[in-house]
Amino acid sequence: MIAEPCKGVEHRLQAYLDRALTPEEVSLIEVHLGECQYCRQRYHFEAQLRTTVKTVCCGDPVPGDLVDRVRLAIRQSA
Amino acid sequence: MDHVARTPSAEAHDRALFEEEALGHADQLYRIALRLSGSTQTAEELVQETYLRALRAWRSYRPGTNLAAWLATILRNAYLDEARRRSRRPATEPLDDESEYFLYDQLSGGRLEGPQEALMSKLTNDAILQSLEEVPEHFREAVVLVDIGDFSYQEAADILDVPIGTVMSRLHRGRRQLKRALASHAIDGGEDPKRA
Repeated sequence: MIAEPCKGVEHRLQAYLDRALTPEEVSLIEVHLGECQYCRQRYHFEAQLRTTVKTVCCGDPVPGDLVDRVRLAIRQSA
Repeated sequence: MDHVARTPSAEAHDRALFEEEALGHADQLYRIALRLSGSTQTAEELVQETYLRALRAWRSYRPGTNLAAWLATILRNAYLDEARRRSRRPATEPLDDESEYFLYDQLSGGRLEGPQEALMSKLTNDAILQSLEEVPEHFREAVVLVDIGDFSYQEAADILDVPIGTVMSRLHRGRRQLKRALASHAIDGGEDPKRA
């Protein structure tokens, strides 16, 4: 059975990661994360997951001549 | 009526200003286009199309407002037009009522956890890219703009032309569905019928 405070953190975790909570809510979550290993581990996972997804999804090299080709297209359209 | 002819030098000036200010966003637009379309060729075409449309509309851009979001709006419209041409249909929208932690629970196998790196290493780059592509389009757009493009909820709402609450809802569901897809593609992550 998951404790009530843990459910509260689970419910607000994504908003917490989005920095979309009030200072009071942030404070409640941070106090709880400091005390609860169960939530702390899951919080770290969720935070790392976001970083990993973003890194991988931004990892494709942008074609080196993209800007040059766009510039050429712009000038040809004139 | 705004049909006053621009002199060639004024047009050249506009274009130079446009190039100077707008081209700096090409990398960000390309990455968004790539994650929306899943194809490097289409992404590049979309970026070119975006800039051509943006140049035509340049005089409607208000200096000092959010240029990246303005360009992303044009990119998104170009993408919708392209998707319409290819008749890409948004996938169905399964309900999601799992625990926020179901991916974590699956990767950790319910055991007392090891280091985060061990869990994360079960998600290969290919699995992540593939999983994002599997997220239905409406939800994927929100995830791509906010989690990958670094746009705020409000900017994403403006780009997608929907209320901010809709962005938050799509983001929530998109992230859930991304995790569901990741769970199915994770190494040792159980059966994956799509790859069987």
